[in-house]
Amino acid sequence: MEWAWLIPIYGFGAFGVIALMRENLPDRGRFLSVLAISAGFATFWFVLQDFLEHGVDQYHFTVEWFTAGRIDVALGIIVDPLTVIMLGLVTFVALAVQIYSLGYMAGDKRLPWYFGVHSLFAAAMLTLVLADNLLLLYFAWELVGLCSYFLIGHWYERRSAAEAAKKAFITTRIGDVGLLIGILLLVVNTGTFDTLEVLERVSHPAPGQELSNLLVTGSALLIFLGAMGKSAQFPLHVWLPDAMEGPTPVSALIHAATMVAAGVFLVARLFPLFEASGDALTAVALIGLITALVGASLALVSTDLKRILAYSTMSHLGFMMLALGAGGFTAAIFHLLTHGIAKASLFMAAGSVMHAMDGQTDIRRMGGLRRRMPLTAVAFTIGALALAGIPPLSAFWSKDEILIAVQKGLNPAYLIFFLLAIVLSALYMARATRLAFYGELSADAEHAHESPLVMVIPIAVLAGLSVVIGLLALPWGDTYDGIGSFLFLQEHGPHGFEVVAQWTVASIVLAGGGFAAGWWLYDRRRDLVDSIRIRFGALHRLVERKYYLDDAYQWAIDQVVLRASRGVAFFDRRAINDGGVDGAAASAMNAGRALRHHATGLFADYGVSMVLGVIGIGLFFWLRA
Amino acid sequence: MTLLHFEVLGAALFCLGLYGVLARRSAVLVLMAVELMLNAVNVNLVAFAAYRGADHVTGLVIAIFVITIAAAEVALAMAIILRLFRTHGSVNLDEIDVLRG
Repeated sequence: MEWAWLIPIYGFGAFGVIALMRENLPDRGRFLSVLAISAGFATFWFVLQDFLEHGVDQYHFTVEWFTAGRIDVALGIIVDPLTVIMLGLVTFVALAVQIYSLGYMAGDKRLPWYFGVHSLFAAAMLTLVLADNLLLLYFAWELVGLCSYFLIGHWYERRSAAEAAKKAFITTRIGDVGLLIGILLLVVNTGTFDTLEVLERVSHPAPGQELSNLLVTGSALLIFLGAMGKSAQFPLHVWLPDAMEGPTPVSALIHAATMVAAGVFLVARLFPLFEASGDALTAVALIGLITALVGASLALVSTDLKRILAYSTMSHLGFMMLALGAGGFTAAIFHLLTHGIAKASLFMAAGSVMHAMDGQTDIRRMGGLRRRMPLTAVAFTIGALALAGIPPLSAFWSKDEILIAVQKGLNPAYLIFFLLAIVLSALYMARATRLAFYGELSADAEHAHESPLVMVIPIAVLAGLSVVIGLLALPWGDTYDGIGSFLFLQEHGPHGFEVVAQWTVASIVLAGGGFAAGWWLYDRRRDLVDSIRIRFGALHRLVERKYYLDDAYQWAIDQVVLRASRGVAFFDRRAINDGGVDGAAASAMNAGRALRHHATGLFADYGVSMVLGVIGIGLFFWLRA
Repeated sequence: MTLLHFEVLGAALFCLGLYGVLARRSAVLVLMAVELMLNAVNVNLVAFAAYRGADHVTGLVIAIFVITIAAAEVALAMAIILRLFRTHGSVNLDEIDVLRG
């Protein structure tokens, strides 16, 4: 178990070799990259086995890193249920996505770089989940963002891809600034970077060392700002749909299962901090709920298959944040797991469609694809049903957990909106599935064909897993009493599997009803859809324009940021450069020009000055004596 | 012959040398004037040494040093003057002002 730190090391090593050797590697680096992540996945199993043998607990392994003044920074890892689940999810999805990429990215001209950065990304994400101190965590956090930038902008010759990469990087940076300030606030006030120690100081302070409520709430909110950026929470979500410009496997890995989950992971890791400040927890719940509704509504009107999935991801990340805000630690991470797997398979299926239709993503031009690519269609349908929350597929179980958590932890208004989000989520999934894969075969889909096996098998494995992974919620055997007995906050202790019949029924009815309604509307009654669209024209336009958020941001950038920047640039040019830098140089030159005349270059003049100087010194000492 | 005679001789030689250094235009003559000043100092040193008696040889030793260094200095100065002549075609110090600001 103490060897868990090896899991990210493989990826860092693979990146180093691939980045240096590039095209000189046999197989253009693909083999090495897949080997590294496979090694990580294999090591994960040893860690898991060791972890289960030693009993479910929190293990902390650490070595000294460096000391600066009074602050010791250790380099170490935490192995606890949260980490183990994340390790499994990240290594598995990364492995599946890399194998899928072998087919999807075949023939790409920057293939070695793609696989190298893929390895680096996986390594950074694994470091992030293992990190035992806030500094290492922040480091991995930024590295993850950087890799996301590289991968979204992989086809940077396309202007939209380059722009999307920049947008993603800058938007998440805005949150990261908050994260950094929040971390520094905590470190300055507790004197340590060690995550567990910081949390201990926050939740069980020694007498006289209590941190003020303002500080706890402030740092929790600032850290949550970082989580909002990475996890595409409203209003910092705008980068996620644009990030779909990247290669689809990248979306499957980064924008479904891993990087966007980092924000949820961060809040879960620092959960005691949020719990110590009730206000921060309420903010998390509120932002999560808004994100869930905004994402779901945007997914409902989008006509781009990948963007529908992106908005759906955003909506589900909102679910997770809502669960965390309700105190449902287990529910949130469980949903992270089930959603990650189902969404990765959905993205890969969407990529398979794009592969077959020359990069087409507009669902209005698809239709009947199941006749041409049956395996992809089945996988997509399973993923969609799973995410819609249809029992017994995976997300049903986690959504149920969230429902119970919300019902216990928050006031009923949240519950009502959450139920609405569940309906919407089933509705847009039905719409996307129906329009893309069922019904009449569209003209554009005529020449579509099933993708090669190297792509279909990972999709099938993930889709299969998204059927069964939800069963982790149930008690198995004598020792395993549902997910709640494995993944829990130590503070609160384990809790068994529980079902509240009325909420389960409600969730089944709403999800099933939503899915059926969506299917019916788009299968039989398109006219009804159109009339609804016309009836609520203003609302539809509002959602279709993404609540004018992008426009608002663009306005803010043009009118505020750029104007202010121009002012600063003017000040820099005139005052700092012309006045300060050039001014200082000019005054030195002028002084030199004025003073140069004393030097005549004539020997006699120097001789006279020397003699006069000696006489002067002689007189000075003579008179003084 | 008292000490005073030697002092006057030394001062006179020194002033002659100083005049030569400041007033002469030819670099060679300036160099000779410098030698004159050095020797004026030597006269003083030897005179004081003799005045203080046979036990005190410090002045004599220093005079030997001055002579040695003067010899080295002449070699160096002659080399510089030769270079000056090569580059400027003249050793007239009034014509050489390449260091003017």
